[in-house]
Amino acid sequence: MIQATFDVIVIGSGARGAPIAHILAKAGKAVLVLEKGPLFRPQYESPNQRSDFKRDELISDGTEKRIQLAVANKGQAFYSSHVEPDINDEPHIYRDTDGSDKATIEGYTAQVVGGGTQLYGGVSFRFAPLDFRLASFNAGRSDIRRDPNADIKREARDWPISYDDLEPYYTKTEELVGINGESRNQQKPFSRDVYQPPLAPNGISEYARRGMELLARKLNPQNPILPYRAPLAVITRNHVPSGRKVPQDPETEKTSYVNRYGDPLGLKSSTWVSLLSPIKDLPNFIIRCNCVATRLTYQKGKVDRVYYIDPSGVERFAQGKTVVVACSGIESVRLLKLSAKLDYGFHKAIHQNDLLGCYFMTHCFGGASAILPERYDKSRALDSDWATDCCATEQFLHDHGLWAAGALYNNTSDDALPISLFRTLGALDLDNLWDGFMFATDLKAQALVNYLDDQFGRGLSISFMANQVPQRTNRIELHPTITDKWNRPVAYIIKNWHRHDRYLMDTYANMAAQILQLSGEHLSGKQIKAVEFVGKGGSYLAPNGIVRIANHILGGARFGKDRNDSVLDVNCRAWDFDNLYVTDGAFMPTSGSGNPTNTIEANSFRVADQILAGL
Amino acid sequence: MATKYFFKKDDQCVLNRCTKFLSRYNTDARHFYGAPGEQSQRDRIAEAWRFPVIDTYGGGADAVNDPAQFDDYNEVTFIYAGADSRSPASVSVIGTFATLYEPIPLERAIFEDEPTRFWSLTYVVPKGQRHLYRFIVDEAFPVNDPVNPQLELQDNGQSWSRFFTDSFTSPLEMEPWELAILYRLAAEILPFQTADAANFLNRFYNCLDRATKERLYNNAYRMDYSVGEVNYIHNILAREERHHLTGYKKCLRIIDRVLRQRSPFVEPENMSREIYFDLYNEMATNQVAGWDYSQYSSPQFFLYLLRRHVVTGAFCHPKYGGNAGAAGWAYLSERYVTPAAAPGQKPQTLFDWRLSMEPPLGENRDYLG
Repeated sequence: MIQATFDVIVIGSGARGAPIAHILAKAGKAVLVLEKGPLFRPQYESPNQRSDFKRDELISDGTEKRIQLAVANKGQAFYSSHVEPDINDEPHIYRDTDGSDKATIEGYTAQVVGGGTQLYGGVSFRFAPLDFRLASFNAGRSDIRRDPNADIKREARDWPISYDDLEPYYTKTEELVGINGESRNQQKPFSRDVYQPPLAPNGISEYARRGMELLARKLNPQNPILPYRAPLAVITRNHVPSGRKVPQDPETEKTSYVNRYGDPLGLKSSTWVSLLSPIKDLPNFIIRCNCVATRLTYQKGKVDRVYYIDPSGVERFAQGKTVVVACSGIESVRLLKLSAKLDYGFHKAIHQNDLLGCYFMTHCFGGASAILPERYDKSRALDSDWATDCCATEQFLHDHGLWAAGALYNNTSDDALPISLFRTLGALDLDNLWDGFMFATDLKAQALVNYLDDQFGRGLSISFMANQVPQRTNRIELHPTITDKWNRPVAYIIKNWHRHDRYLMDTYANMAAQILQLSGEHLSGKQIKAVEFVGKGGSYLAPNGIVRIANHILGGARFGKDRNDSVLDVNCRAWDFDNLYVTDGAFMPTSGSGNPTNTIEANSFRVADQILAGL
Repeated sequence: MATKYFFKKDDQCVLNRCTKFLSRYNTDARHFYGAPGEQSQRDRIAEAWRFPVIDTYGGGADAVNDPAQFDDYNEVTFIYAGADSRSPASVSVIGTFATLYEPIPLERAIFEDEPTRFWSLTYVVPKGQRHLYRFIVDEAFPVNDPVNPQLELQDNGQSWSRFFTDSFTSPLEMEPWELAILYRLAAEILPFQTADAANFLNRFYNCLDRATKERLYNNAYRMDYSVGEVNYIHNILAREERHHLTGYKKCLRIIDRVLRQRSPFVEPENMSREIYFDLYNEMATNQVAGWDYSQYSSPQFFLYLLRRHVVTGAFCHPKYGGNAGAAGWAYLSERYVTPAAAPGQKPQTLFDWRLSMEPPLGENRDYLG
């Protein structure tokens, strides 16, 4: 008989679930992880020393399929990676500005053990102390721009924990997951610097570093906040906690098959290689892959059963003293709502207020890009080399009338490979890959050579990732008619950008542009051909900017100290359940000034300690 | 003596390949992207083309156990999805990769010590080959793979399930005249008719060793101004994007007629560049004189499709049949180099793709492909 009783059941094996499984299994608790996707192992663990992750441009954005669902964009092509869901089987539906419903690949990370940490570029910022107290920071202000209805003061929330509360867990994450970087110049206090040393930056990134420094000196000549090496979840030295070893020459790790590619060598610190593989042989740890959790049932203040469908399509259930839902914000909210729909007790308990699904967020993001006078081998790079917090000071926010901050960093590996250069021509997100190139019929023969001459190895972009204003109307629901391949209603994403979000994105896009321009002007003064500025902007400007999510799926089940104002308590436990925790990005009341994975992992380590104390 | 070319992959690997695509309760035809009238049971399955699963080989069959040979082979994993964990009672496969009279049994994949409804067998097959196969279920008459959409009609009127392995270059689905037109159209898009690029290709192909040359030229077409992109197009029309095969064939037939109207005494393959140049530009505006719009309504859409396929074929991993011998990558790595630091000093490439790629194609010491 299959074991069905555990101390802890964790649904999802990515950044949100794996830290909890890791801590509790190591403490001797019986842990079951349920993961919808397959287990793709790195070469060193694979039975034939070959990984299912490949350095192959055609598996990151696969061959063409077409949306066949009864939605407004039926017939539109899509190109999902081998570990992303098939939109026709498991779509996300969003409501477009014209009121029509469309299917999208946006908002999915990856369905594979390790989740989004398998495909992400690995940029691993900490949030800044200010990110945890945005209600307090904005309470008495009169200088916030583009917020005529004072939505920000009404909707901003302080987190129920502070940066100092989370700091030890950031350190734990950076140590156990395996992150390289530099703490110097980061505007976040570090109790210990456990980063592995970064690899040598790609030559093209010097433009970014110089521009970041020049911007810092322009913003604050007396006390410039200088750039730092972007923290990346890639090991550059042998990693003792996970037993991973780096190549003889770690510099050979650099490859542009990074962002949107799983790592066949296991050097990118996915939660599988860093946290789950080290516990995989413990007798009290079980991971059931290719198993989708379908519903939770309620009994006397507890989740009493977790139902899931096994690889053959057979429905089973398991029971846990504690149940952790950690399958990425949208899907977690959906699982809770589906459970509520099928179980009245669950419905009453999870809907003790009406906030489940509300305050869904992503990030305000965007950037600027330029073509540089010189060419570099961008195929020998990791995802990012330099970052700066110079636009994240309270002074900067006051000067610009912004409610919250963001981080800026350069993309190094983007468009480094020929097919990606073509398929992302003019494409602003995953929903319109290839369109730009296909329609640019003049781009042929000599014109194609000229295009490659202009672009290949010469593109440099600066990105920003910043807080989005929480809005109650931005929410996740169940779609009334569209179902997935298991005949369950799919997630329905209803979101819009706040006016202040647009202003914030414009402001940060200008800063990104200034980094490039200042760097270029510096060179022009030396009679070197100038940087050719390509463009700038926030993601809201994209043709379907309303749905752009950057796969940062946050909010929808926020935590807090007040049960009337939150779905989860301070330990991410659902208020009216003794044993139900939600630890993916859904818990966040505000979205933070940087890529969220590091914070989600740190919070999961924090919650793991709380769960352990109660078991 | 070791003779077995087949083995059973571990259960986790097998289930990893099954669930996303084959497991479902919904039976709508959610995965039909083809022309009207081409619907089948397979439209209920996501990415049915993935079956049987073709993968890199890294040992497992005792007949091919020398690591030096691994790169010459693929492992082909046959998957059969039964009704449930009890039925059927047995599944085996026969195919041209082995003897047609000796069925090889598949084994059930196990999940948590319990049988699943998935059966598998992994057979080691040389790269560049195409084979036919059928399943024998409960010892009944051999049947085609109910998942794999590739069927090949035999001269006795029977269709058999078919697969081909990596680096396959023989046309199965297209006629020589169709491929010829495709090469001419692809040449309009890619750089390889420009003087510099043509010069590069000449040198590249001339410098290849004899064995590589034979391998690349075997069945490949017009390598003087291509990097095998049409092989890629053929392969994905036969497999991943089979839903575009009918459209391609229709358009190529129409184009053939248009070209013959414009130059009645020359085969399309040999027509002047000007004719193809004009045709391309007319397709771009969706106004092609002589185009039969009742057969295919948008030459522009076909051109869009072709553009995507052509550049993908020129720069994809060579295992897909295009980018022959990595010529597309080599073109970029030769064109983009550092300025020479001193006279006589060799410039460094600024696209050192070999450093990331598995040997023998590339030079990475750790990545095995």
